[in-house]
Amino acid sequence: MSLPEFRLLRPRSIEDAVRCLSEHLGKDGLSLRMLAGGTDLIPSMRQKLFEPEYVLDLRGIVAMRGIRPQGDGGVEIGALTTLRAIERSDFLRQHYAVLTEAAATVASPVLRNMGTIGGNICLDTRCLWYNQSLTWRKGCGFCIKKDGDLCHVAPGGTKCWAVFSGDTPPALLCLDAEIEIASANGVRRVPLNDFYTGLGDNYRKLQPNELVTRIFLPASTAGYRGVYRKLRVRGSIDYPLAGVAVAMKSYDGHVADARIAVTAVNPAPLLVKGAGELLMGKPLDEALAEAVGDLAAKTAKPLTTSALTPEYRREMIRVFAKRAVLAAAAN
Amino acid sequence: MSGEFSIIGKPTAMIDAAAKTTGAGKYTDDLRVPGMLIGKILHSPYPHARIRRIETSRAEKCEGVIAVVVGKDAPNPYGILPVGHDEYALALDKVRYVGDNVACVIAVSEAIAEKALELIDVDYEVLPAYFDPEESMKATKDLIHDSKPGNLEKDYHHVFGDPDKGFSEADHIAEARFIANEVTHAAMEPHSTLASFEIDPHTGKAGRLTVWSSTQVPYYLQHKLSLVLEMPMSQIRVIKPLVGGGFGGKSEVIPLEIIAAVAARKAQAAVKITYTREEVFWAHRGRPRTIIDLKTGIKQDGRITAVKARVVQDGGAYCSYGVVTILYSGALLGALYDIPNIQYDGYRVLTNKPACGAMRGHGTVNVRFAFESQLDELAAKIGMDPAEIRQHNLLKPPCITVNGLRVQSYGLPECIEKTVERSGWKQRKGKLLKGRGLGIACSHYVSGAANSIIRSDMPHSTVNIKIDRDGGVVVYTGASEIGQGSDTMTAQVAAEVLGCSLPRVRVIAADTDLTPIDIGSYSSRVTFMAGNATLRAATEVKKLIAAAAAKQMGCAVEDLIFRNDQVFKQNAAAASGAGLANESIRSKRDEASVSGRVEGQILRGSLQQKRKEEGPKDSLTFEEAVVAAIDFHGTLTGTGSYAPPQEARGGKHKGAGVGPSPAYSYSAQVAEVSVDEETGEVVVHKVWAAHDCGRALNPVSVEGQIIGSVWMGMGQALTEEMVWKDGMLMNPGLLEYRSPSSVESPEIEPIIVESIDPEGPFGAKECSEGSLAATIPAIANAIYDAVGVRLHESPFTPERVLAALRAKRNAKSLGLTEGVDPTAPARFREHGGSLCFKGKGPERHALDPSRNSAPAVPGRAD
Amino acid sequence: MKKELIELRVNGRPYELAIEPNALLLDTLRQDLELTGSKRGCDDSSCGACTVLIDGVAMMSCTLLAASCEGQEITTVEGVSEHGALAAIQKAYGDWGGAQCGFCTPGFMMTVKSLLAENPAPTEAEVRAALSSNLCRCTGYSQMYEAIRSAIAAERQVSAVAK
Repeated sequence: MSLPEFRLLRPRSIEDAVRCLSEHLGKDGLSLRMLAGGTDLIPSMRQKLFEPEYVLDLRGIVAMRGIRPQGDGGVEIGALTTLRAIERSDFLRQHYAVLTEAAATVASPVLRNMGTIGGNICLDTRCLWYNQSLTWRKGCGFCIKKDGDLCHVAPGGTKCWAVFSGDTPPALLCLDAEIEIASANGVRRVPLNDFYTGLGDNYRKLQPNELVTRIFLPASTAGYRGVYRKLRVRGSIDYPLAGVAVAMKSYDGHVADARIAVTAVNPAPLLVKGAGELLMGKPLDEALAEAVGDLAAKTAKPLTTSALTPEYRREMIRVFAKRAVLAAAAN
Repeated sequence: MSGEFSIIGKPTAMIDAAAKTTGAGKYTDDLRVPGMLIGKILHSPYPHARIRRIETSRAEKCEGVIAVVVGKDAPNPYGILPVGHDEYALALDKVRYVGDNVACVIAVSEAIAEKALELIDVDYEVLPAYFDPEESMKATKDLIHDSKPGNLEKDYHHVFGDPDKGFSEADHIAEARFIANEVTHAAMEPHSTLASFEIDPHTGKAGRLTVWSSTQVPYYLQHKLSLVLEMPMSQIRVIKPLVGGGFGGKSEVIPLEIIAAVAARKAQAAVKITYTREEVFWAHRGRPRTIIDLKTGIKQDGRITAVKARVVQDGGAYCSYGVVTILYSGALLGALYDIPNIQYDGYRVLTNKPACGAMRGHGTVNVRFAFESQLDELAAKIGMDPAEIRQHNLLKPPCITVNGLRVQSYGLPECIEKTVERSGWKQRKGKLLKGRGLGIACSHYVSGAANSIIRSDMPHSTVNIKIDRDGGVVVYTGASEIGQGSDTMTAQVAAEVLGCSLPRVRVIAADTDLTPIDIGSYSSRVTFMAGNATLRAATEVKKLIAAAAAKQMGCAVEDLIFRNDQVFKQNAAAASGAGLANESIRSKRDEASVSGRVEGQILRGSLQQKRKEEGPKDSLTFEEAVVAAIDFHGTLTGTGSYAPPQEARGGKHKGAGVGPSPAYSYSAQVAEVSVDEETGEVVVHKVWAAHDCGRALNPVSVEGQIIGSVWMGMGQALTEEMVWKDGMLMNPGLLEYRSPSSVESPEIEPIIVESIDPEGPFGAKECSEGSLAATIPAIANAIYDAVGVRLHESPFTPERVLAALRAKRNAKSLGLTEGVDPTAPARFREHGGSLCFKGKGPERHALDPSRNSAPAVPGRAD
Repeated sequence: MKKELIELRVNGRPYELAIEPNALLLDTLRQDLELTGSKRGCDDSSCGACTVLIDGVAMMSCTLLAASCEGQEITTVEGVSEHGALAAIQKAYGDWGGAQCGFCTPGFMMTVKSLLAENPAPTEAEVRAALSSNLCRCTGYSQMYEAIRSAIAAERQVSAVAK
C-alpha cells in the first residue's frame, strides 16, 4: 500500500512550522497533515484515510523536544518528546508517576521510540469500521467519519462514535495538564480537559492552522501517587480497549485529593465526575473503591468500535478503576 | 548411543542461518528482474454478486499502466484438489467473498497500479450471501456454486464398529457442542510471486515461463499453472526462494501465483505481485470455524466405549483443501487412543467468506479440542485423574485402528509419563492456589499423508545426489525449505550416510528445472519422506564409493566405515579411527581441505601417487575415496525415492484415503494457567510438551518446532480469532488479528521422546504439527482446574471466560457476550445469522465507479 | 510526482538519491539501495520486521519517510555483521534456533542490538519487554532468549580476552 502523493515541508523551528501551516491551509483545512512520530498518520495515509496535499514533518524542530522542570515545581514537556523519553524520565517518575506509567504502556517499545506525547494527545479516534483500507471501506459502504453518511457502530445513527485510544491523555487529565497551542495568531494555553469535543469525528478543538507545542503539568499535582491500568489482549503492541488513570494525594491515611480518568471507551478521554468528591477525606477501603468503580463505569459508554464486547470493556473500567485506586492508595 | 551417529542427533545450526541473520537471504519480494512490472489486484467489495460487466479502458489509458487482466484472459478453472476445481485466476462471472479477485492492473509502479485500480468500472448484481454454515446448508437458491446443492461442498458419514452398542455399554456419556472459531496462519512473509517469460528461439514467441514464488509446493504450482495457462509442465519452471513461513497458507496455489503468470503473459514482461497484509487475510486458507457436536461414552474404569462426532466446517467460498480437512477431522479421531466404536458425520459447507484450507495440524486441531475437553469432563465424572484416564485408553501397537490406520511406533505412553513427571503433576495437581490450575491433553499427527492428493503411483519424494572430484556432495531435492529446517535435515541425512562433514554437503532444493519431484512441504511429510529418499540416494552413492575404496584398500566392502570425512577399515577404525577424539579428526580434515583448496588437483594427484606407492592403506580421506570411485565408475551419482507402503495406505471405505500415514507423531502436554476471576483474563505460565518424533535428527530444530506448535496453539486458545460482520473481516491486519507478542508468551519446555519408527529415516517422524492440537484443550482443562468453568468456545477471550464464571455463580451476566451463555453456544453471534448482505453498498464514495447505478439489494423471501 | 534529491547515510556510507517525498524509508532501502534485509510484514506498523536504527534508536522504517531521515545515521541489518563475519548475536540466533523462517529475524537483530547497546546485561523480563515490538510466527520467542543469553556470554568472553 503506497502513500498518497504529497509535498513534504520540513520546518526547523516552531515559527517556520506555524508559517507553513498558515500558508498551506487550503480552503477546507484538509490539505495539510502534521507528522510527528508518524505512528498514527503513516498507517492512516496508507489506508487513504488522509490524502493531504502537504505533510508538515515536525521531526526537525529540536525546540519542541525535552522535559524541562520549572522553578515553581511544575514541568514543561515539549510536544515532540518521545513517549520513550517520558517513560524513562526519572523526574517524571518521581513527580508525575501516572504519566510515566501510562506512557510505558503505549503500543510497543519501538513504537514508543517514535511516538510523541503531542501525537498521543492528538491521536485520531479509532474504530474497526474506520481504520481499514480504502478497498475494505468500500465493502462496508464507508462510514460517517470518512466518506460515508452512516455509523455502523450505532446502526442508523448519524453521530460518529469512534473511540479515543490514547493512553497518556487520561493520565494528563488527572494531573490537570494544560497544553500550549501555537498559530500565526499567537499562542494560547488551554486545559487539556477543554481540548476534546466528545465527538468521534471532529474530536479535538484544534484549528487547521494550529499546532500543539508544549504540555504543562502544574506544581499542584506533583507528587500525586499514580496508577494506570490498561485493558489489552496482548501484552504489547495493542491500543487500549479500556484504560483507567488515577492520581491521588493522601494525608494521614485519608484521601486528600484524587482524580480518575478513563480512556478508550468514549470518543474522548474523560475525567470521572464526582470521583474526587466521593473519595475526599475518606480512608480508602474496598467498599469505597467499589463505589469509585461504579462511578467510572457510568462514565464509560463503549460501543462496538474495538475488539472485545462493549459490555465487557465497561465492566473492566469498573474493575480497573477499583483496583487502580486501591493500588494508588497502597503505593 | 552418542557414538552411533556423527551428524544426526546433534544440535545443528540451520545451513541457511547466516543468510537469515544477515539479511542476505532472498525471499521472493526481495527479487527483481530487469524491466519488471508491478501487479495490483482489484478485489470484490461484495460477498456475493454476479459480474455484469467489467470496464477497464479508463485504467488502461493511465500513463504507466501496461495492461489490465480480467477473468476471461485465463478462463480455465483450477483448484488444489482434483475434485475441487472451482477457482479461476480472476472472477469469470461471479464473486463469492469480499476480497475475491476481479481484475489485475500491471503498471510500472505500485502507486500507479493502485491508482488505476480505482478506474476500473465493475457492474455487479448483488446476490444474497451466506455467512453462517448452518444457515447456508438450508439454501435452495442463489447457491454459491451451482454444482453444490445446499451449499454443501462435501459430507461424509462414517461408522466404524458399533457405536450404538458402544454407547449402550457406557456407564457415563457426555454430550456437548464445541465451537472453535476461525484462525489463520499469519506467516510473517506476505505472499509474493514473480513471473517472467522468455522468448523461444525457434518460434520467436513467448516460450518458457519462470516463476519465483513463496510456495510450500513448487510442483503443485507448476501443475496448476500448466492447467490454467495451457502450457506443458516442462515449459514452466518454478523456483522457491526463501519462504517466510507457511503453516499451510502457502501449501496450495494461491490466486496471486496464477494471476502473476497470466499478467506476465498479457503484459509481455516480468510481473511481480506481493500481497498487502490485508490481501493475505483474504487469500486465507486457514483453519475453518468448526462446530463440533461430540458425544463420548466411557465405562466406570475409564475405558472409552464409543465416540460420535458431528462436525460442521465453515469452509468459505471455495473448496481449497476442504474435502481433505473434513476427512482428517473424522479420521484422526482414531490412532491416538484405542476407540472401539466411532460414528462420524462431517459437513464441509460453503459460505461467502475467504476459502479455508490447510493450517498446521490440518483438520485435527478443533476436534481434538472438543475431544480432550470432553474426556476431561468424563474423568471428573468418574473421579479419575485426567492423566490416568488417558493412560487407560492407550493403543497396543503395532495395530490397525478401527478406522483403518496403521500404528507402529507409539511414544504416547512415554510422552504422558514425562510431562506428568516434569510438571510435578502428581504433587501439584489440585493443590495450587485458588485461580491457578493444571490441565493435560494429548494429540497426534501424520508424518505425511500415505496417499497423495493427485491419485497416482508416483513416489512422493525423489532425491538425486551428485558427487564430484572436488569431494563436494550436492543433493538435489524438490523438498521445500519454509523455515522448518528441511534443507538442513536433507544435508544431515546425506552427511550421516556418507560419513562426511556437513559443510561438504550442498543442498539444491525446490527448483523444478534442477530438482527431482517432491510433493512439497505440508502434512509434516518432509523428514519422513524426503528424508527417506535422501537416505536411499546417499546409500546408493555410498555403495559406489565403497566398492572403489574397498578395491583400493584391499578389503571387503562390508569392512568399511564411513565417518568424519574418512573411510576406514573396520578393525583399523576400532584401533585408531573411530576411537580418535573428534578433535583430531577435525584438524586432519581441515588440513586436507586447506591444502586441497590451495593446490587443487595437482596436490591431490600427488597424494594419490604417494599413497599408491605406499601400498594399500587402512584409511582413505573422503576426497580420495571419491576420486577413486569416479576413476572406477566414471560418474558418481545416486538416486532415491520414497512411496508409502501399501499396508499404510488405509481402509476401503469412501474417504479412507485421508488420515492414513506411514507413521504418527504423539504429544502430551501439561499447561499451567491462572485465571483472574474478576476480569476473566487467562495467563499461561508454562507448558510442558513431550513430543514423540521418532528420532530427533536435529534436536534444536525439533525443540523449535515443538515450541512453535505449542505457542501457535496458545494463540488459537487465547487471542486469535478472525472476526466477521456480514462477510466483512473486521481484523485483516496484524494489529487487530492478535498473534501473541513475547510479553504474554509463556515458557514452553519441550521434551523430546524418541520411539524410533521402523520405517522413518533413522527412525524419525514428524515434529512440526502434532503438538499444536493438544495445547488448546490443555489450556481449557487447566482453566477448568483453576476456576471450575468448562469453556466450549475458543478462543478463551476474557469476556467468554468472565461470562462463564458469572454463569457458574448465577450472577447477573451483564450480557458480556451479547446475551449468549458461552457454556452452551448455539450459534455464532458475530455472524448474526444474516442470510442477506446488509451492507450499504459502495455508492457513497466519490471514487467508486458503480455510484451511478446503485445496485438494489435484494431481500430474501424468508 | 517530482523526485527530490536527498542524502542518506546508511551503514556508515553516504548515498545521494532522487526520491519522491512520499517514499517510505523501507521502500527506499529495499528498492533504491537494494538493501532487502529489512522486510515488510504488515501495513499497520505492528510487526517490526522493518526495524532499523536511526541514530542508534530502533524505529520502524515502514513508518518513516525517507526524506525525513536526512542527516541521520541509519543502520540496517546489513550493517550488523562485523568485518565480514557474523556478529555474536547473529551467530547465536543460528546456533540456538532463534531464526526459523528468518523473515522477522532482521527486525529482531536490530531490536536486540539496540537493547544490548543500552543494557548489556538485561534481565529475562527486560529481554521479553524489549522483544515485544517484533512479531515472530515460528519460534514462540523461547529460543531467542537462549540465543541472546549466549550472545551476551560470547561478547563477555571476547572482551575478557581483549583485556
